[in-house]
Amino acid sequence: MSPEKIILSVVALPGVFFLLLGLVWLLGGHLSERALSRLTRGAYALLTLAVASIGLKMWQAGTPSIQLSLGDWFHVDHYGYPLSFLVDRLSLPMMGVTVVLAGIVGSFSVRYLHRDPGFYRFFLLLHLFTFGALLVFTAGSLDLLMAGWEIVGITAVMLVGFFQYRREPVRNALRVFGIYRIADVTLLLAIFLAHHWFGTAAWTGMFRGEWPGHINNLNGTAATVIAVLLIFAASGKSSQGPFCGWLPRAMEGPTPSSAVFYGAISVHAGAYLLLRIEPLIRSSWVATGLVIFIGLTTAILGTLVHRTCADAKTSLAYASQTQLGIIFAEIGLGWTTLAIFHIIGHAMVRTMQFLRAPSMLHDYHRVHAAAGGHLDPTGEHYESLLPKSVQLWLYRVALGRGFYDSIVDRFVIAPVKKVAGALALFELGHSDKTDV
Amino acid sequence: MDSLSFPFLTAGLASLLVGAGICLASGSAKVARPRALLFGFLSLLGFLAAGLQAMAVPHAPGLLDSFLPWLDVDTLNAVPMIFLAALTLFFILLAPQRDSDGRQLGGMLLIALSTQLSYAAGNLVVMMVGWWLASVPFILGFFGPMKGQKLAQGFLIASCVAFSASVLILHTVEMQDLSHVSILAFSLLILAVILRKGIFPFHSWLVSAFEHGPLLPTALLFNGHLGALLIARSEATSLPQTARHALQILGMAALVTALVTSLRGFAEKKPRRLLAYICVSQASFILAGLATANAQGITGALIHWLVVAASSSGLIAVVRVIEVRIRDAADPADYLGLAVKAPRLATFFLIFGLALAGLPGTLGYCAEDLLFHGSLESHPWLGIAIVLATAFNAINLIRLFGVLFLGVLPKHVIDIPDALPRERWPLVACVAFLILGGLLPTVAISWRAPAARAMTEAIGANSAH
Repeated sequence: MSPEKIILSVVALPGVFFLLLGLVWLLGGHLSERALSRLTRGAYALLTLAVASIGLKMWQAGTPSIQLSLGDWFHVDHYGYPLSFLVDRLSLPMMGVTVVLAGIVGSFSVRYLHRDPGFYRFFLLLHLFTFGALLVFTAGSLDLLMAGWEIVGITAVMLVGFFQYRREPVRNALRVFGIYRIADVTLLLAIFLAHHWFGTAAWTGMFRGEWPGHINNLNGTAATVIAVLLIFAASGKSSQGPFCGWLPRAMEGPTPSSAVFYGAISVHAGAYLLLRIEPLIRSSWVATGLVIFIGLTTAILGTLVHRTCADAKTSLAYASQTQLGIIFAEIGLGWTTLAIFHIIGHAMVRTMQFLRAPSMLHDYHRVHAAAGGHLDPTGEHYESLLPKSVQLWLYRVALGRGFYDSIVDRFVIAPVKKVAGALALFELGHSDKTDV
Repeated sequence: MDSLSFPFLTAGLASLLVGAGICLASGSAKVARPRALLFGFLSLLGFLAAGLQAMAVPHAPGLLDSFLPWLDVDTLNAVPMIFLAALTLFFILLAPQRDSDGRQLGGMLLIALSTQLSYAAGNLVVMMVGWWLASVPFILGFFGPMKGQKLAQGFLIASCVAFSASVLILHTVEMQDLSHVSILAFSLLILAVILRKGIFPFHSWLVSAFEHGPLLPTALLFNGHLGALLIARSEATSLPQTARHALQILGMAALVTALVTSLRGFAEKKPRRLLAYICVSQASFILAGLATANAQGITGALIHWLVVAASSSGLIAVVRVIEVRIRDAADPADYLGLAVKAPRLATFFLIFGLALAGLPGTLGYCAEDLLFHGSLESHPWLGIAIVLATAFNAINLIRLFGVLFLGVLPKHVIDIPDALPRERWPLVACVAFLILGGLLPTVAISWRAPAARAMTEAIGANSAH
């Protein structure tokens, strides 16, 4: 089979799985846990082999990238939605990470969610997520990336609210969705502006050459605007900068979903986007400064809060946020190869940590006992270098998680609700009290 | 103009008329539903045959009905006709027992009949008659007590009066004569559209109708999108420049409506009202798209018409069947947690909601993509408004989904049935349309592109003058 066909099959398989399983269920059918787990294991083993074979064929042929254009998905007048795929040295590792980690997590979840009422739902969402993530990483244009981006977003939200019979996961899922949607607006705008100003949103139109080291085709203020919008979109997906509040809230989901979504793949989609558009960022000092600033400030806040978290998963979430902040800064500094290694290493380690989180306390006690009942706490030396008053102030900020939620509630959500309530004045015959 | 090979339009309309009469004479749901289904199906066959024949000759101006020559079918009305006939069947099949006695089903068939009459109208007077007739079941209270429906009735009548006054001032019945339209007559036409479509600040009647009125018949009325039809018809007739400016203003008003109602939804908790804001907001995109005056925007608008019809019908149907199952659903004090007992209804709701908000993989995504590009091409800031409104609507939809389906199940809800087979099949058909349409959007585009092309050419010819 040609690599092009394999790429198509790899991307399509999880989507087809999702559609078939979903349709069977909607019409009243149901697959047993055993059948579903066998199907999942088999599918991800096949996907892993397929991705490996793509890499092998590329290596044998000495081609740095494979481009696949299926023409326009739909076409009206002079506008067409390009259905093109690109697998290169950036997307191939991300595809590999996606199928391997989704497979591992799928395997882990068979036991973890055994007899859970949401077992079937979880696997449906896992397949949909894999489809979305593969679409993001293989998309040959921003248009197609957007499609995968949205699918990843909605599955992530559904998994945050997975334990739907509890109040907090539902509230947090809604909050995560809200942040995602607002951040996604910037991606949509960037796509439309790219079409409007440059007539293309395809990677091959925006850049020339092979990754890493591809060269920017866009320039001027318009290119800076697009770069800044894409940085904000990436920040939303990777829980950075003004959108950093959702990642800890997403920990309400089941542990396997936390591992694959928030530790490994979903959060790295933002970093992937930045790596893809790195020459565009580099060509503008505003965009470069912004991405470094967002990365470093989030990393500092993340590491600060991480040290005061009382539960394992939240602590890991902030640790992820810190690492992603550093990855953002690396991209801003132009260290793209380092950044991709950092992403892959971080995804692997974090997945393992998330999957081990439920038994972490047990591990800690075992290591503690093996060390003779004494484990040195880390980082105290650096803390001691700061004046006591600053230490206390930082501790308070960390305990309040940077007061992020309070700031958003007070300065974003409350005014929006106020405006919404005020709009009731324009309604005839509406005497009911609004829920402001 | 050529004629249809058989008076399919007359047959379709006659089926609805006879069906309505028989249903009104019938009593219980047990008797009325099969009859309504039979006549609804016959009308679907009639409109399907007429539509297919018209779409087979996309460059022809239209095909006259051989029995009633003031009815015709062309590429603009063929698809909405078929679609509305299918939606009528959808509602008849899915309506809960308490909403499906002879009077209610007869009323729904009357709404379908009058909307189809407006669609098929070959001249302004027939279209006006359709507008009036569609309001009759609501004005006469076919669907039970009229408490809280005065606002809706008032606006429906006002819209019809504005349309009638415009036709009187025009002194003509021909659609083509709109190219010589006076400012006053066109202003009245625009007013009729604004009132009917619920353009800000007149959107409150639709919200009120959703809240107090019979939900399924209101959905049928809402999804007729007669205001959009009138605008599309007038755009295809090479309007004078002043009218073009008026349409642009209408497009902007539609965008303001989309944005304002999506924002207004944040202060709403009652499911019916929240649903109304979302539906009104998303439906406003249709007018906004028609006003873009470019092929992408207009095609996007015509496809979005179908998406809004399918998705909002699905959403409204799910809300209604939930209301019948659990009393609290009308005004829940807290999360209802129904997904535990009705996971399929929850899934249907989510798919319809996300399709309406433009989830990739559904037809809504393609429609909104075209709409965004079309809007951005004509006025960049309009495109931004659409993107923002969609984001707000998506958040509102998830809020509504959360209130209805997530959280802790109330203690008194011991057991409720999930989607019944009678409900499941039409809902699956609707989902299949949205997903297959999303995967193969070229099919849906090929249905709507000829009409969009005709409108763009008319606008282009007008600009050239």
